[in-house]
Amino acid sequence: MTAQCAPILEVRDLRISLPASADRPFALDGLNLTVRPGEIVCMVGESGSGKSLSAGAIMRLLPEPQVSVAGGSIVFEGEDILAKSEREMRDLRGNRISMIFQEPMTALNPQKTVGWQLDEVLRLHMNATRKQRYAHAIEMLERVQIPDPASAYNAYPHQISGGQRQRVMIAMALSLSPRLVIADEPTTALDVTTQLQILKLIRELQEKDGAGVLFITHDFGVVAEIADHVVVLRDGKVVEQGEADQVLNHPRHPYTQALIASVPDLAPPPPKPVNGLPVVLKGSGLNKVFAARGGLLSGKRKAVVAVKDLSFELHQGETLGVVGESGSGKTTVSRLVTRLLEADSGSVDVDGKDLLACSAAELRGMRKHIQMVFQDPMASLNPRKRVVDIIAQGPIVHGEDPEQARARARKLLELVELSPAAASRYPHEFSGGQRQRIGIARALAMEPKVIVADEPVSALDVSVQAQVLKLLADLRDRMNLSLLFVTHDLRVAAQLCDRIIVMQKGEIVESGVTGEVFANPQHPYTKNLLSSIPGRSWTPPVRNTDAA
Amino acid sequence: MTTVDTDLRPAEPSRSVMLWRRYRRNRAALLGLGLFAIVVLMALTAGLVDPGDPLRRAGVPLTPPFMDAANPLGTDQLGRSILSQLFYGAWISLLVGVAATLISILIGVVIGALAGYFGGWIDDLLMRITEAFQTIPNFVLLLTLVAILGSKIEWITLAIGIVSWTAPARMVRAEFMSLRNREFVDAARNLGVSDTALIFREILPNALPPIIVYASVIMALAILLESALAFLGLGDPNYASWGNMIGQGRAVLRTAWYCAAIPGIAIVLTVLSFSLLGEGLNDALNPRQKQ
Repeated sequence: MTAQCAPILEVRDLRISLPASADRPFALDGLNLTVRPGEIVCMVGESGSGKSLSAGAIMRLLPEPQVSVAGGSIVFEGEDILAKSEREMRDLRGNRISMIFQEPMTALNPQKTVGWQLDEVLRLHMNATRKQRYAHAIEMLERVQIPDPASAYNAYPHQISGGQRQRVMIAMALSLSPRLVIADEPTTALDVTTQLQILKLIRELQEKDGAGVLFITHDFGVVAEIADHVVVLRDGKVVEQGEADQVLNHPRHPYTQALIASVPDLAPPPPKPVNGLPVVLKGSGLNKVFAARGGLLSGKRKAVVAVKDLSFELHQGETLGVVGESGSGKTTVSRLVTRLLEADSGSVDVDGKDLLACSAAELRGMRKHIQMVFQDPMASLNPRKRVVDIIAQGPIVHGEDPEQARARARKLLELVELSPAAASRYPHEFSGGQRQRIGIARALAMEPKVIVADEPVSALDVSVQAQVLKLLADLRDRMNLSLLFVTHDLRVAAQLCDRIIVMQKGEIVESGVTGEVFANPQHPYTKNLLSSIPGRSWTPPVRNTDAA
Repeated sequence: MTTVDTDLRPAEPSRSVMLWRRYRRNRAALLGLGLFAIVVLMALTAGLVDPGDPLRRAGVPLTPPFMDAANPLGTDQLGRSILSQLFYGAWISLLVGVAATLISILIGVVIGALAGYFGGWIDDLLMRITEAFQTIPNFVLLLTLVAILGSKIEWITLAIGIVSWTAPARMVRAEFMSLRNREFVDAARNLGVSDTALIFREILPNALPPIIVYASVIMALAILLESALAFLGLGDPNYASWGNMIGQGRAVLRTAWYCAAIPGIAIVLTVLSFSLLGEGLNDALNPRQKQ
């Protein structure tokens, strides 16, 4: 270890105050933290634990004066960050300290091409001609393994996938070989293979340049993969910190133990016999191509084949997982089978009737058989409607008596374990997990034959995710639901799905019973996918005392 | 050990309480609300202040203000009381403002919603029509319409509504274009909700706040347009309106400035109250500006 080297970053007793209207006086209270050269320090905590604000404090990018540093010190390579002027900070940022943000879509300027934005960093801090900068930018794009760097250089952020955007962000952050990289959930939005590549990339940089990395994450799989040192935060306080091995395998604090217990393990459920069960949803020969527009002067981009000749069958009471990387077309599948997107060709048989051949009026009637749980719990509920109206809306549209529908909606709230008091509230008053429960209740209200769940837990904290998954599994078993479960998270797929289909570039490369696919993958892509699960070699320790 | 996800947060105060709290943070907006209340009060009490016809002869022509107890604000060149005309004029101004705004918002919402929701050729067609309207200067179009329809107060109101729907239409279209791809719209569509219900029940309520704010601007503009028409002598001569008063006062501006100045001040304050009101509504309806 490099423990004897002078630390790159030392944070002592850091305290960040919140405005008076917040739920607690300090976002962070007494944070102590040291990052040494060549060390990756992981800061773990659920949303609201104050981990992102600590990154903001180190970069001096807090939303002052509402949120400000109230005490403690931050020393970067022997210099006191808190004493620096705004000008001196500008020289540091992007150059010696750089940051990889959580949301690649909002961290990139949608008005400028990827290349322009990469070039901007270089223009500010590097003395080089335009040609050299271009060459360096292309080299960086290659280093972060973007296919066709020259095309990506000309693309606008919305024209490339989420994973590629994050690669661009990393290329930007690493392009000047900084001493300290602050990575704020950099892989949260990414698929496993991409994630592993990016984690490797971050490792590689740090081994090459001896940079220190402060890695903020909520994912214990990622921690197991990358961390040298772990700091666990809860409500702004450090509950536990120590060497990675010790925290992961012998957690002392009950909160750490509970968090680790929420990580889904990789053991698939026992296979369910599906022979003889009726097929409730059958897709055959589905195709979808998105035509991409190229600018007049900004270089060409190609049309994207989202789904190519896709066929599958979902049996009664079965959960079929659709897994794949970003851009594999799995979300497109969920929208094609619900006909929120029009397929170019193919058919979707729900209950023996082709959904894609229905007229607009027939379609509205058919929709009650196939319901959807959406990915983003913030965006999928109408902010102007009360929860009870959101849930009862479907049945009312399909002719149920409004009073009866609302009474049933209240019962459904109970079914998804929400208090009946929730009925008369608006969506913004709920947490992410609660909103997802409302989304599930809305789907159940239609008593559908099939529920399509598009990444329903990917926006949630691990402990909440575990609870929502448990609810889904319970409901499925009790109500004999058939689920088409789209996810990028193989741990989640392992926990819930009876069979999975693995998609790559719009095509199915492998399908089968989850346990078999996980134990004995046939296709190289599936093998790659499975070997990329973060922390796959780490088995969460089983707690002997269940303090639920 | 981890917090149970299903516990609810404490209930928030109702939406209207929150709105009022945010609104009253802006002092200027409170002033606007006060001015607006005064104008409404004037319109409502016009009959009490002067039960008779405001256009009858009430005293010696061109009495300056504060000289005659019967006509506190003086009289114009025909001997009509400026005070009672001012009160009755408030009624007309509000009526024209509210009705014309409703007409323009109605047209704007329908056209903007259809264009923004459906896109494609419907959007192209409706936007070309909108642009055709926008290329003609508002006031010229208004004059043309009044020349065709005649200068009855109803027609004037309708004409003002017709010349001012283009901006709200574009605004609604922009809101719809950003909202139509949200997941909650997909969710409702997936429940089998029809296009009409999607437009008016799902998307429109979410698109309303900026439109409500803009309505205050249209209302101010409508009052100004009506006054401008009256100033040119194209107002409805059967009603006391502030524009009519200025139009007639113009002839005696050098000898009896108050005939034009008093209704002028009334218009300035009313228009000011609407724009302050709009600003306050913007703060109140836009939760991002909570701080």
